[in-house]
Amino acid sequence: MFELDQRIAEQLTEVALNSAVQVRCGNSNAFMVTASTIIPLMQMFEMGGVYISANRGAVEIIEAFESIGIDVSKIQFIDLVSSGILGGTDVPYSNIHFVDSPIMLESVLLRTLYILRTTTSERNFVFLDSVNALAIYNEDRILAEYLHTFINTFRQREILSVVLNVPDQTPPLVLSNLDLYCTDLIDRGQVVIH
Amino acid sequence: MQPAAVYTRDRCVTGIHGLDEILRGGIPYGSTVLAAGTCGSGKTTLGMEFLVRGALAGEACAHFTATEPSVKLLENIRQYAFFDMNMVDSGLINVFDMDVLYSWLGLEKASFELDDVHALIKAIVDIVNTIGVTRLVIDSVTTLCYKIKSEQLIRDFLFTLGKKLATLGCTTILISEITSATENAHWSSFGVEEAIADGIIVMGDVERMGHLLRFLQVVKMRGTAHSRAKHAIELTPLGVMLTPMLKWGAQSDKTSRWGS
Amino acid sequence: MARKFDFDPEDEEFFSMVGSFGVPKFDNEMHGGIPRGFTLIAFTDTGSGSELFAKQFTSPAEESENTLYVSTNEGQAEIVRIFQKYSWPMDINVRTIGEEYNSTVLERELLASRYRLEGFQLADIQRLAQTRFVDETNQDYLTEVTNEIMALGPYFRAVVDSLDFFLQREDPARVVAMVRMLQAHAQLHRGLLLISVSTNGLDPVIKQELSSIADMVLSFKVRTIGTDFETSMIVSKFRNAPENLKILVFRVTPEEGITPETVERIA
Repeated sequence: MFELDQRIAEQLTEVALNSAVQVRCGNSNAFMVTASTIIPLMQMFEMGGVYISANRGAVEIIEAFESIGIDVSKIQFIDLVSSGILGGTDVPYSNIHFVDSPIMLESVLLRTLYILRTTTSERNFVFLDSVNALAIYNEDRILAEYLHTFINTFRQREILSVVLNVPDQTPPLVLSNLDLYCTDLIDRGQVVIH
Repeated sequence: MQPAAVYTRDRCVTGIHGLDEILRGGIPYGSTVLAAGTCGSGKTTLGMEFLVRGALAGEACAHFTATEPSVKLLENIRQYAFFDMNMVDSGLINVFDMDVLYSWLGLEKASFELDDVHALIKAIVDIVNTIGVTRLVIDSVTTLCYKIKSEQLIRDFLFTLGKKLATLGCTTILISEITSATENAHWSSFGVEEAIADGIIVMGDVERMGHLLRFLQVVKMRGTAHSRAKHAIELTPLGVMLTPMLKWGAQSDKTSRWGS
Repeated sequence: MARKFDFDPEDEEFFSMVGSFGVPKFDNEMHGGIPRGFTLIAFTDTGSGSELFAKQFTSPAEESENTLYVSTNEGQAEIVRIFQKYSWPMDINVRTIGEEYNSTVLERELLASRYRLEGFQLADIQRLAQTRFVDETNQDYLTEVTNEIMALGPYFRAVVDSLDFFLQREDPARVVAMVRMLQAHAQLHRGLLLISVSTNGLDPVIKQELSSIADMVLSFKVRTIGTDFETSMIVSKFRNAPENLKILVFRVTPEEGITPETVERIA
């Protein structure tokens, strides 16, 4: 049985809509932390949202959620990975939008804004998975600038932004900026291996 | 001492997401704006959305298409949620095929003389005046000007047309096809359009590591303060959407720090 | 290998090896008429009676449905009037290109100048906004006429009066190519084809080319003698029968149309 980290949900109860939450995780607990964040947002707070996947293809993420019995059909996915794979965009889900590459940062922002303009949910979140994946393709300064724009854009619109991050794979400049821009931190970066 | 009253010109609110903010409220009424862009940069969509937003506000609009048949234009534009075919059927948006207009005016020829240019201006102005058009798009002025062989005649054509349309209170977007939208490029094919236009909106692509990002930049707009920054644009079913382009990624590879 | 066409022996007997000019005295002078399969090019002077001759050429109309008269200058009504006047068969196919051109192209030009002078009315603008395609004003009459003649069956009889219309609007090389094609068609199907072309302003090179394609070259001339006009037809080429080269002076009578008066053999 898949176990969620309930403390994340508790922490989220204290977060305002115009917040920017940095969620730190490690390589091995990334999905558990993601699920522990997304599920309460969807189920407890009844939020709609946009999931930006720069780490893995959206289909893989949807299937991972489905495997633990979670329906994510109400979340819109922006997939930055699959366009780079031949045939990657031929998917059975209608809630996946594709952006050609993780370097097209402005397109990601605009596509997110577009989805949010079409959504019927009153309260929404934007989940960015993940900063360290974007750092593979984008140089430090542009990524730091982007996160600044990204976070402020959604804060201004009262949309909760959640930024997933594996700190030891994120350039120091980006990390320090992220610490500066984000209003809240959920730190699950230290993984204890039993 | 009382501060001097600040005079601001009335605006034609484009209704295009982000563009009105860049223009600090919209295009000054009666302006002739050159929308110069490379192929696939979103010029036609921008022009069409400009008209649709006007039609939604109850304004009479006209679109002259010279680059593609209106049937094709309307078919392509139908994919956008902001467009409603009823606007065309009800006469709020009037789409004219330039080749039909040429044929009606006996202008089916390779090049236009002075008389022909005057006939064309008269026809466009007649249409604007008769149906009270307040928003006009000519797509493209480049295709049209190819038929006018002398630079002086092109200048006269654009100047006279712009002046007459301004008198009628019609805000006009002249779409111009350019091959490059870099800093050193001309913003018009014939060089004279950019000097005559009241405003210039440049649209093009920034190449970033092999990917093309569409951008829009207002380089000139008489009668209003405006942002001159590059803005990334996305053509969504809801219309054109803009966001400021990231400063560290606003230049093409060859001139940016990613270049070799 | 050349194309071969099998003719019905009964047809061969009915149509015989020669066809009539439509002017019996010309037939006599040409030893029976025009060999079937011949293309006649008539170079004409203004007022020389060639238009009447062109109509008269269709009058034998062995098979009316296989007979075509193409006029580029006259209207249907005028043609009917002449045919009625001389009691020539009226059930042949007639195409009046000039009339068609006037009713489409010229009418459009007239309308265009009205729009340019007076501008558009609201109704015009509404119609313009609903018109998505340009009416096909650039009708390809040359191709149409070529196809129409090529569609005629064996032993056809066709007249094109005159080629000037096409030479003025088309690339002359294309017009010559069309004549060449029609000549081949006439030869293959044993048809009789008369094509008139005015000598006024005709490029000598084109004239030379047309003459070389034709099996028979006629020149219609007019000159003044005292206070009178004298019209004549000069046969300057008759393939494989140089003895037929003649100058035939004719006049027009209300009973017979073109009526030869004197004949002079060209030495």
